[in-house]
Amino acid sequence: MASPVPAARPTAAPDPGRRRRRPGTGRRDHLVGWLLVTPAVVYFAVFLLYPALSALYYSFTDWDLRSEANWVGLANYADLFTDDVKYPHFWKSVRVTLQYTLIAVPLTLGTALAQALLVNAVRRGSNVFRLLLFLPVVTAEAAVGAIWRWLYDPQYGLINSVLGLFGVPPQNWLNTPELVIPALAFIAAWQCGISMIIYLAGLKGIPASITEAATIDGAGPVQRFRKVVFPMLRPTTFYLLVTGVIAALQVFGLVYVIFSGGGGKGAAGGPEQSGLAYVLHLYLFAFRYDAMGAACAMSFILLVFIMIITAVQFRFVKQEAA
Amino acid sequence: MNAVTSRTPGTPGTPGTPGTPGTPGTQSAPGRPGPPGRSGTPAGPVRSRLRLAPVYAALVALAAVAVVPFVWMLATSFKHGPDIYTKVPSLLPLDRRTGEWSPTLENYSYVLDISGFGQAFLNSLWVCLVLVPGKLLLDAFAAYAFARIPFPGRDRLFVVLLAGMMVPTITLLVPRVHVTQQLGMFDSPWGLIVPNLVSVLDVFLLRQFFRSLPAELEEAALIDGAGRMQIFWRIILPLSKPVLAVVTITSFIFHWNDLVWPLVVLNSPDLYTLPLALQQLTSQWAGRAYYIMAGASLAVVPVVIVLLVFQRRILAGIAFTGLKS
Repeated sequence: MASPVPAARPTAAPDPGRRRRRPGTGRRDHLVGWLLVTPAVVYFAVFLLYPALSALYYSFTDWDLRSEANWVGLANYADLFTDDVKYPHFWKSVRVTLQYTLIAVPLTLGTALAQALLVNAVRRGSNVFRLLLFLPVVTAEAAVGAIWRWLYDPQYGLINSVLGLFGVPPQNWLNTPELVIPALAFIAAWQCGISMIIYLAGLKGIPASITEAATIDGAGPVQRFRKVVFPMLRPTTFYLLVTGVIAALQVFGLVYVIFSGGGGKGAAGGPEQSGLAYVLHLYLFAFRYDAMGAACAMSFILLVFIMIITAVQFRFVKQEAA
Repeated sequence: MNAVTSRTPGTPGTPGTPGTPGTPGTQSAPGRPGPPGRSGTPAGPVRSRLRLAPVYAALVALAAVAVVPFVWMLATSFKHGPDIYTKVPSLLPLDRRTGEWSPTLENYSYVLDISGFGQAFLNSLWVCLVLVPGKLLLDAFAAYAFARIPFPGRDRLFVVLLAGMMVPTITLLVPRVHVTQQLGMFDSPWGLIVPNLVSVLDVFLLRQFFRSLPAELEEAALIDGAGRMQIFWRIILPLSKPVLAVVTITSFIFHWNDLVWPLVVLNSPDLYTLPLALQQLTSQWAGRAYYIMAGASLAVVPVVIVLLVFQRRILAGIAFTGLKS
């Protein structure tokens, strides 16, 4: 690759016959290139590659921060799956996370699509609505958790008094095991602004001629949506579904804030662990109980699970396309 | 306000529109159901507004759901402690007995002085002011090399970096804290900055943009004897202002809001960033929503201002990137 001509020199004349030997392909240029990518490569090695490999290694050990890590083979994985004395809430955290994903993702996408369709249908003020609907997205999850804890307050919260107007009796949202996941999913849907913006971009990409043709052929708004708009949004929906599921499986900060406080380790994860998200469970073992080996094993289980889910979703879509 | 050039129903002469034969450049085709005419016809706007009334009603309702929690947060933060405990919640800071307007700043002075939010605000600001420009520079360096300098092994290296981007960072939380400890940066401001100093996603986005710039400019500069770094500073960066702005703003918002990394890497309360201070306040003063909402307002308001100022760029950027991952 290295050019024999010291091409980066100012005196080097460009060779008009061969474009490959233009200036900026010399050894000095290679050096500049390497220097420029060095910080990124060092960062990658130190903060991504090495952690990934060391996590894999530690997942096979009993490392607890205090003593040397001993090799225990697959014991962490086996214990997580089977030992309900050591890890009594592992499967609970898996169930909680899957339930949350199954409720929050469709709710978020549905809300986002509805918002996008409405914003797209108007011209006057559409920017203002778009901005207002986007506002929850830029809010820190610590603040989101704090605000919604107060909104869901059983006695003085806004949610109960608004629902009271419709005759719904007051609920203790965050302290009733059956209501915890719906309450969390509602917060996720409240923050659907990114999906809304992406849906909006998808809607703008649908050629007007197609919907107009459907209108002329006598299709009403509902039919137009079902037969034309929604099918044409399929790639967008698929993208949002994959990214939404991956994000939902990693839910952590929000549940951490919502269920921190009230004191004690038992309080983490909400009433009867009904809000014990998988990553919260992982966090507790890593940073409260110092069970680093087990926490690394949990990390890898999640990583593999996310990869499988992603692969399955892509496969599903390929089959449909075929 | 009408920057979004949405489709105009009934715009005449749209190429490829079937069923509107022979009337190019005139008002909308006669006999078509639904779409109103342009503002030229008097009936058009009225009918269109009537048809859109339910749409606007739905939009107002959804926007209210989006915004009312913020109003509620601000109102609570300005209320005297006892005034938040009312049977009918109020979206204004009113006295609970007389119903009179009685806002207060005492919650803010409490969280700023006693709960350490003043320090946390400065910590957050300092971290963002160092981290965001530093990250932008390192990402742009790498992106420029990957986009434009054909050094050997470049493309293979880039593919490796991209593969690393696919790993969800939360699964690396534990070992990354360990690395930070080994580097002696645990529980220090540098522990917040250095482990976040490169974003592969941003490198990728910037590289895509740099590749779209015309190569001729650069070649001409090289022939004139300019060095790579001169080209980077004088040609590439000035031409890339839009994408640099998007990356800067989104990364500011992300790091200003980030709770998880400060949570796992800091111990000392005097190093806490705003989200962490807020989380602590939330767990300690669970019952005192007026303090918590004052703290939440301090975390939320700066970002909302950034959003209002840069909304065009942010929303345009989201459409092709996504903010979270």
